[in-house]
Amino acid sequence: MTKHVQDDKPPMTKEARAWMEEEAVAQEARYKDIVEEIDGIEEQRAEWIEEFLSLIQTRGFHVTGDMTRKVAKEEIPEKPNRPDAMRVIW
Amino acid sequence: MARPHIEPFVELTEGYKAFKIPGFIGADYKVLSLDTDNGACSLKVRMRGGFKRPPGLSYSDLEIFVLTGTMKVGDQNCQEGHYIFLPAGVALEAIDVPSGCELIMMYNDSEPSFEESDSNHDLALKEGFVSVNSYEDMPWAGGSIVSPSVATGLFLKLLRFDPLTEAMTFLYSMSPQYLQDNISYHDCAEESYHIWGASHMMQFGELPTGGYFWRPPYINHGSFRSKLGCIALGRTDSKLHNYFHFNPWSNPDENKSRAAAMLYRQRPQLYKWVHMEDGHNHPHGQVGQLEAPKPPADFEHPGYKDHPQTKMLADQTYTFHELDHLHKDEIAAAHKFAHENGIAHGHDHESGDHTHDDDEY
Repeated sequence: MTKHVQDDKPPMTKEARAWMEEEAVAQEARYKDIVEEIDGIEEQRAEWIEEFLSLIQTRGFHVTGDMTRKVAKEEIPEKPNRPDAMRVIW
Repeated sequence: MARPHIEPFVELTEGYKAFKIPGFIGADYKVLSLDTDNGACSLKVRMRGGFKRPPGLSYSDLEIFVLTGTMKVGDQNCQEGHYIFLPAGVALEAIDVPSGCELIMMYNDSEPSFEESDSNHDLALKEGFVSVNSYEDMPWAGGSIVSPSVATGLFLKLLRFDPLTEAMTFLYSMSPQYLQDNISYHDCAEESYHIWGASHMMQFGELPTGGYFWRPPYINHGSFRSKLGCIALGRTDSKLHNYFHFNPWSNPDENKSRAAAMLYRQRPQLYKWVHMEDGHNHPHGQVGQLEAPKPPADFEHPGYKDHPQTKMLADQTYTFHELDHLHKDEIAAAHKFAHENGIAHGHDHESGDHTHDDDEY
């Protein structure tokens, strides 16, 4: 197996270990804030979805590049009946 | 876990923290995203006026983008828009920051580290080094270098491309009134930092100047808008393929299955080869093929497996592989046949220095 520089990495320093632990906690909090923020605009997001589904039937859906096609009403997906249907942060 | 989904995150409202890691003292940082398993991270870094550092290396690939100010590296003044890709183990010349600067720094393999050295590590892939002023030294290209393609009005400057993984780092720009009415996802993780301007995605709202995201694979994003335009630094960790669709409620598992279904339809022989699960990834049998594996679900085209062209491709058989090599029982039979018929066969019977195990021919 070819060896790489990364394989020669010295053990993590105690300063770096402390830094990572501190920042992992901060990131967890950041993630929760983001989920809360996005959940908080669910009504607005539902409107954006409605607008999008309308536009792709009238102006068209971008298939690739500038190529568009109008999506027929019967092709429009229905919102699934599951609790995470509006989830966008994973 | 690796890096979580961070989107959107606007760092301008966050305060800087002072670095306490050796090699970074005198600099401040904000974490944009962090892999809590290995320390790989993307940071916004402020090097205060007077910051100096001797030549040195890290044990991680490192990407640096100058947002504001000037960072002097050796004799070179790296100004706004300067991009550096520093492979792990490549020594960067001394840094001198007379008046302060702000950077994006991406440590792609492990935590920020610094080892003073004026020579490269013996194993460093120094040919991967990139240093370019992305604002001044290269033109904007159309976004259609990736296909299926984004709509006209999105421009790219490719700063780095990894030939092994097809990971890339790029500047991108959306023109004013840009719009693209589809939903996208990718097989790769994607991250972006908005240097200037705002864009809008249906799932996450407006991403302004200083906005950032780290998005794991198969997560829906788009449709896309930019009212007044924007310029951003983007990066993927592997090949970027645009899977476009219009189902706002599909989840990452459904998206992944749809991506697999596309592989099934578009590269059926490869799909079958990869799909074999017994550690023996190639076809056998009279016609040189196993039966086609079960087609993955595709929410967009649920009945695709019955499409005539798809069926034909999935049922296609090839016999070129049959005689590539011999298997254990075949080796034994060939060996026996060689002995019985006096055919030379790979070892010298005069030396007596061999065995007649079944797997030796």
